[in-house]
Amino acid sequence: MITLSNVSKSFDGGETFAVRNLSLTVDDGETLVLLGSSGCGKTTTLKMINRLIEATEGRIEVGGRDVAGLDPVGLRRAIGYVFQGIGLFPHMTVRQNIEVVPRLLAWPAEKRRRRALELLELVDLPPDQYAERLPRRLSGGQQQRVGVARALAADPAHLLMDEPFGALDALSRDALQQEMLDLKRRLGKTVVFVTHDIFEALTLGDRIAVLHRGELQQVGPKEELLGRPATPFVRELFEKPAKQLAAYREAL
Amino acid sequence: MPDWVQFVVERLPELGLRTVQHLALTGVSTALAVLVGVPLGILALRVARLKGLILGTAGILQTIPSLALLTLLLVLFHKIGALPAIVALTLYALLPIVRNTVTGLEGISADILEAARGIGMTPRQETFMVRLPLALPVIIAGVRTAAVTAVGVATLSAFIGAGGLGQFINRGLALANWGLILLGAIPAAILALLVDLLVAGVRWAVDPERRIERRRRPDTALRCLALAAPVLLLAGGSLGYARTRPDVTIGSKPFTEQIILGHMLAELIEAHTDLKVDRRFCLGGTMICHEALDNGEIDLYIEYTGTGLMAVLGRDMIADPDEVYRVVSREYLDKFDARWMPPLGLNNTYAIAVRREDAKRHGWEKVSDLRPYAAELRIGFPFEFYERPDGYQPFTAAYGFEFGEVREVQAGLMYDVIRAGEVDVIPAFATDGRIAEYDLVPLEDDRRFFPPYYAAPVVRTTTLLRYPRLEPVLAKLAGVLDDETMQRLNFRVDGKGEAPDAVAREFLSSERLLP
Repeated sequence: MITLSNVSKSFDGGETFAVRNLSLTVDDGETLVLLGSSGCGKTTTLKMINRLIEATEGRIEVGGRDVAGLDPVGLRRAIGYVFQGIGLFPHMTVRQNIEVVPRLLAWPAEKRRRRALELLELVDLPPDQYAERLPRRLSGGQQQRVGVARALAADPAHLLMDEPFGALDALSRDALQQEMLDLKRRLGKTVVFVTHDIFEALTLGDRIAVLHRGELQQVGPKEELLGRPATPFVRELFEKPAKQLAAYREAL
Repeated sequence: MPDWVQFVVERLPELGLRTVQHLALTGVSTALAVLVGVPLGILALRVARLKGLILGTAGILQTIPSLALLTLLLVLFHKIGALPAIVALTLYALLPIVRNTVTGLEGISADILEAARGIGMTPRQETFMVRLPLALPVIIAGVRTAAVTAVGVATLSAFIGAGGLGQFINRGLALANWGLILLGAIPAAILALLVDLLVAGVRWAVDPERRIERRRRPDTALRCLALAAPVLLLAGGSLGYARTRPDVTIGSKPFTEQIILGHMLAELIEAHTDLKVDRRFCLGGTMICHEALDNGEIDLYIEYTGTGLMAVLGRDMIADPDEVYRVVSREYLDKFDARWMPPLGLNNTYAIAVRREDAKRHGWEKVSDLRPYAAELRIGFPFEFYERPDGYQPFTAAYGFEFGEVREVQAGLMYDVIRAGEVDVIPAFATDGRIAEYDLVPLEDDRRFFPPYYAAPVVRTTTLLRYPRLEPVLAKLAGVLDDETMQRLNFRVDGKGEAPDAVAREFLSSERLLP
């Protein structure tokens, strides 16, 4: 479980706030999507959870423990992270990339290796084909599968995903989203997933939190957001695609 | 066989020795620079406050002209030879390595660094697991620059007695002998290319693509070879350097007569004993030769009594040659634990020389005769003469006049410059063959200003004790050369371009000094 209580972040000493007075709970095994346009504070929120960014105010708990009291390095190793820029280490093979966190945690080599191969199967990259290749030989979609495998390597209970499929082409994105759904079901991780893509949010989120200019607009299951939007911003956000589609139809 | 082939073949053993020395100097200093420079680069990255200091210092070090740095270290260490040379070369190699290390470590893309931090690497792990391996190609490029530069700068270290291919270049410059210059320069250039290739090989071998994706056998073997080659070469060079450590090292100053006499000493010792001789000729000048002797970098060289008396001991001039010899013998034994062997016979004092036609026209016979004309006359000499206690300043004081213009001219070029009419007066060496050949006239030193400069081997006492056979061998040269003979020998080298070692050998055998 991840809990944020009255969390704020200001980068300029209190003049303006990237995130203001945010309270959220992510239940065990749940996928919460942080949805919003760029600059709304969703990535900042995500990075505060594993202390890549320090909160200015408020309290964040992961698994019941206040992160402010934890060693940030240990905290990050305990939370899986999938990066927007993928961020595979280009000098390491696919297998070595997946093994990085277990290596930092000083797992024995054989256990690391077994885990890496197992994860490659899981993300649908046959190990005998991909384990010993360098990341640059892989397509973008394949690379991010490795990114997901890397995040899962040490079997963390919590997973942070920062627009992980944002840089991929539409086809790869669809495929990975489907696989993500599958993984969710099989692994039961607690996931915070950041995206600006409404359909991705609707596809993957058990609940969706809409952020705008650093403030929480509404949080709830998709039925609730679509059926009973709490603010004009939320209504506009979900109606816009339908309106656009209608406008195109009209024009044809 | 073409002449040049014979020229090279005759010098092949020495060429091997110098190449090994050169390789050792370059390799050891580049290796040291890597050992110091890469950690410094990492430090600059990790401790932001130190970055400016580290890069700035390395930058300043490299702006110091190489010769000046070598000389500076010579003064600081009071030691000539390999140590100051390696220190200087290391300091030079530092900048490209430090700079490339910092650039490489800083040039990692933000995505990768965010990932390193986000998955829980400490800053230290980030540096060593991510930044350093990714910066490797850039760092190696820096090492490549450093190593190739070091090969070039190492040619200068012969100047302070560290050996290497610069020996040939210095000797060639002193003798105006193109063959010798090229004998140093061409192998140095080849060495630079080779070193460049070796480092490029390392770069090739550590490429992750090759390391990981092509694990086929021939490729792996080649990679191991590329990685091992520089290490083997470095080890070989250093070992060679250590093993070629000669029994007796002979020094010389950088001019023809010294080189011929140096060869005579070497040929004589080699012919009569089985000692291994290293000819470390063309050291930077009197003080460097003396320091080298005092520190044991060389065992002997030919010194002149007057130079020993005034330049080395700092004593006032004494006109009586025997008295000078007695004083230097006593004082050298006292102060430097070195022995003056019996003089060879020649007196290479300074002779104020003018063109014969000028002397005839104005009726010059003595130096004092120049006084009324001095303001119109131009004198040219090498910088050493300016600083000596028996040099230009005291000379003008003794004779009571100065010349209208003073030009600095390299010792070897002095005679050509006066012949070409670019200067009118030179302090010639009395034994220089070009005095007669170029139609110059030495004027009589009527105030007896210039002290006697009888040439004699100066040897470290410890060397004489270690090799007792040496003393009778060196004594064979006592009194065998007078000024005219020396002039002739000098001219065979300076004027006719004969090889100084051959001239020395022929003279010795004509005097029946070789077995």
